[in-house]
Amino acid sequence: MKKRRCKLLSIILLLLVLLSGCWDQKQVDKRAYVYAVGMDMADEENKFNITYLIVNPEYGSQVSSNTNESPQELITFETNDLMTSKNIANVVIAKEITYDLLRVVIVSEKLAKDKRFIRWMYDATKDREIRRDSYFIVTKENVSTFLKVNKPKLETRLDQYFELILKRGIDNGMIPDMDLHRFFNITEADADLALGIYGTTQGNNEDTGKVEDQLLAGELKIKGETNATQFLGSALFKEGQMIGKLNAEETRITILLNDTLEMSDVLTTYPDPFDKDFRIAARLIKKQKNKVNMKIKNGSGEINVTIPLIIEILSDHSMVNYGRNAEKRKELKKKIEDNLSAKINDFVKKTQEEYKGEPFGWSLLSRRHFKTLSEYEKFDWMKTYPTMKVNVKVDVRFGEFGKQGEVPNLKRVRD
Amino acid sequence: MEQHTGKIGIREYIAMVILMIGTKLADDLPSILFQKLENAAWFTPIIAGFISIIPIFFLIKVLSQYPKTNLMEILQIILGKPIGYLFVFMLWIMGLAANTFDTAIYTDIIGTMYFTETPTIFIYIVLMAVSAYGAKKGLEQIGSVAASVITYIKVSLFIALILAFSNGNINYIFPIFGPGKWEVVKESSLKVSLYIDFIYLGVIASYVSSTKAFTKGTWISLIIVIIEIPIAMLAYLCLFDYESVKLLNYPFHETIRYISLGFLTNIETFFFPFWLLASFVRFSIYLYISAVMFGWLFKIKNFEYLIPPFATLLVILGMIPETPTFTVADMKAKALSFATPTFFFLPLILWSIMKIRGGNKNEKKEM
Repeated sequence: MKKRRCKLLSIILLLLVLLSGCWDQKQVDKRAYVYAVGMDMADEENKFNITYLIVNPEYGSQVSSNTNESPQELITFETNDLMTSKNIANVVIAKEITYDLLRVVIVSEKLAKDKRFIRWMYDATKDREIRRDSYFIVTKENVSTFLKVNKPKLETRLDQYFELILKRGIDNGMIPDMDLHRFFNITEADADLALGIYGTTQGNNEDTGKVEDQLLAGELKIKGETNATQFLGSALFKEGQMIGKLNAEETRITILLNDTLEMSDVLTTYPDPFDKDFRIAARLIKKQKNKVNMKIKNGSGEINVTIPLIIEILSDHSMVNYGRNAEKRKELKKKIEDNLSAKINDFVKKTQEEYKGEPFGWSLLSRRHFKTLSEYEKFDWMKTYPTMKVNVKVDVRFGEFGKQGEVPNLKRVRD
Repeated sequence: MEQHTGKIGIREYIAMVILMIGTKLADDLPSILFQKLENAAWFTPIIAGFISIIPIFFLIKVLSQYPKTNLMEILQIILGKPIGYLFVFMLWIMGLAANTFDTAIYTDIIGTMYFTETPTIFIYIVLMAVSAYGAKKGLEQIGSVAASVITYIKVSLFIALILAFSNGNINYIFPIFGPGKWEVVKESSLKVSLYIDFIYLGVIASYVSSTKAFTKGTWISLIIVIIEIPIAMLAYLCLFDYESVKLLNYPFHETIRYISLGFLTNIETFFFPFWLLASFVRFSIYLYISAVMFGWLFKIKNFEYLIPPFATLLVILGMIPETPTFTVADMKAKALSFATPTFFFLPLILWSIMKIRGGNKNEKKEM
């Protein structure tokens, strides 16, 4: 009898152990989920302004869609770091702040250009809840204004909006596929330049006269009733500090040259070689990796890159009928290759002269040419790169010429 | 007692050894290795593995000369009573120290990476309670648990590594020799003791169904861990690059936090339970071996009653160091280099003395 009691008691006591699993228990409706964190320059020295975009998980979910609460909440205040700010926010926010659903880290251009920026940025690696695959965005204006103005018309749930628009932008090659992980990675390796997604809500209503490829966020003129936010181009970082901006075209060139970045659905235009007034629409497909040939010898080197590209011609405004005309196809191919190669080589020259570093990930490929780390570190890729001879060639193969390969003969139609 | 007369088969034995040593790839061992050898750290488990073939070969030679005898008795037979006793005592102290470091580290992993609010002491108590319960059930039970869970554990690890490789960049492994060829060989040979667990297997060798099974099982598991640990370290390297991987305390846990499976993010909750299972089995074996050795040292017949007090002792010892992430890792790194000579020379000494004395006399008489 006594033994049985003992057993029962010990079983009950054992059940108590299971309760310890509840120590870290958190209830969804008692937490405030920060979806985006913004960082701005503060007035006070060595502090920064933090902006929290808190999403409401109740809003728009199918089960309880009849909530009257707003889909998000936005607060901005001054803070010392990313961690203590969670407590300060509770002065106005009723629930416990958590970074569990944090997907977007946004930094204003002004702060990104500051020397102290990297110190604050490393807070993100310290906090357990911040995931390294969060998107990394740089905005032209203050992040507090950016998030206030950003009001998508059709996606009231901002988490959905960011996820979709960034995904599309990355697929199109308009913005680079950059997350915190890559940013830290490149900064720590100290050989290449890192990129950030560039965005703004400050539209520019003047006509810049640029082709859409050469635009940067905020420069695309869009009429109608829509969200003012634009994501286009990228911010360039050197040693953890922003040093410049790349427009859409430069961003695409970077993605083309950097095999660790990807784009899948790229449409673009080229000047029509047969009629100066028009531009040809084309789809760029890159299926193979670049052929990079590197020669490294005593303190400098030479890089030869060949980019294999498949191009589908989508429009034919000069009505040349490439499909049937092998001669003209050949000419077009040559023109596109020359045009692209020239642009790419110009940009490479720009990175060597202006930025003194490259965002193409070539330092990784160069590592193969060294036997030990000390040799590699002594070579100092970032310092040596501007003195290197770089030559980029594009190798174009034509794909299809649109669903309908041919257009009618213009002369006969006009007749 | 009934439960200890039972023997374990080769399958159970291999599963136990792999869980004991293979689980090291998911704690702070990779980060200790990355500190010195940077992007060439993945050579260490391979080189150390090949070097450790020598001591393991001689250990097996000695053990197979004395079937049905455990390591402690063999030590005493070969080295004489007082010296043998001293050696066993030393091995036991080393085992206890390693156990303390490891349990402290595992508690720290759970505390910093998963359950941040739960008090450390409580995580420690639960971890040790489960392991002690497992150990008290006896070797046979631990073996069958190990054999039944190992497939799931390794499949989950395999998935994690595949995802890590697909997200990573293979160019990070270059320059291939890291800090230099000789540096790699030197550092690796200092860290041979990462396979020191094989010596402790001598303690339970007599529980394995046959000498042949023990020999075969030991070689097979050595081959598996020599393949497994470097691949995992390569995966961390390809995902994080050498500069960043040096900054991480627990690369495996950072890896499973970073990777995602298509639209499924936060999949660490899938891998964590398997890792926990492996840890439980691992510490159960350690506790069991510790208790066997202690029982032998002080002539305690029912040594399984020592397991709960040992577990308690480990909790108390393991709670002492402040910020275990760094202090314990430092101690562990030093202990790894310190234990290497013992691991390398002990079997050699045993074997040569045995040969000089002319082998096992009892065995010869029987033949």
